[in-house]
Amino acid sequence: MPTPTKGPRLGGGPAHERLLLANLAAALFTHKSIKTTETKAKRLRPVAERLITFAKRGDLHARRRVLATIGDKSVVHELFTEIAPLVAEREGGYTRITKLGFRKGDNASMVQIELVLEPVTPKVRSTRATSSAAAAPAVSVDEPVVAEADAEVPVEETDTVETSEPIADEAPSTEAAEVEADAAEKADDAK
Amino acid sequence: MAVPKRKMSRASTRMRRAQWKATAPTLVKTVENGKTVYSLPHRAKVVEDSAGTALFLEYKGRKVADI
Repeated sequence: MPTPTKGPRLGGGPAHERLLLANLAAALFTHKSIKTTETKAKRLRPVAERLITFAKRGDLHARRRVLATIGDKSVVHELFTEIAPLVAEREGGYTRITKLGFRKGDNASMVQIELVLEPVTPKVRSTRATSSAAAAPAVSVDEPVVAEADAEVPVEETDTVETSEPIADEAPSTEAAEVEADAAEKADDAK
Repeated sequence: MAVPKRKMSRASTRMRRAQWKATAPTLVKTVENGKTVYSLPHRAKVVEDSAGTALFLEYKGRKVADI
């Protein structure tokens, strides 16, 4: 169930608001897309989506509950026979509100509220796959840069690079061997 | 009915009105065809043809409403 609305009603009172929202819902189901103020659209959304949920159920009891809100039988028939099959796969979120601009007379924010009748396209949940895919190109981009840097350096100073690299290779290897030997000795002492 | 006893002085009227301040709206910056456009966020935009005639409202690449 939608959250109950707090604060003053639309129109003159609770009965006026009920009628107003019922008429807006009937207009929405007739035209599939209507232009109204943002306040009315936000109030209309839970009402209309609840009626669509009834329409998806489709039995006589549901039809009578919808008829209690919308008096027009032709609109209810259209809702049950045309709109309900189109949103059968959709799990809620049957309406879409798009802000358009401000009305000239009172500067009210106008919106377009429409039924979402397109077939459902489920979102791809593999966020890790996308992140790894994003990371892979980054790595591949970095590698050529490094290769270019290496290629540029030998052209300018070939001797220094060649001499420096073997030293760097030897130093860690000898140190690592010593460390391993020490570790082996300590392990023996511990035993 | 309660009515004001005194005429409101010009100074006090102007002091009250001095507190009316306009606030700048927060805009989003987008680059369309090389031109930088500032617009209100989450609001449909008007699509125009080459002559500048408004055609329809568009939001996220989808036609939303006629004008």
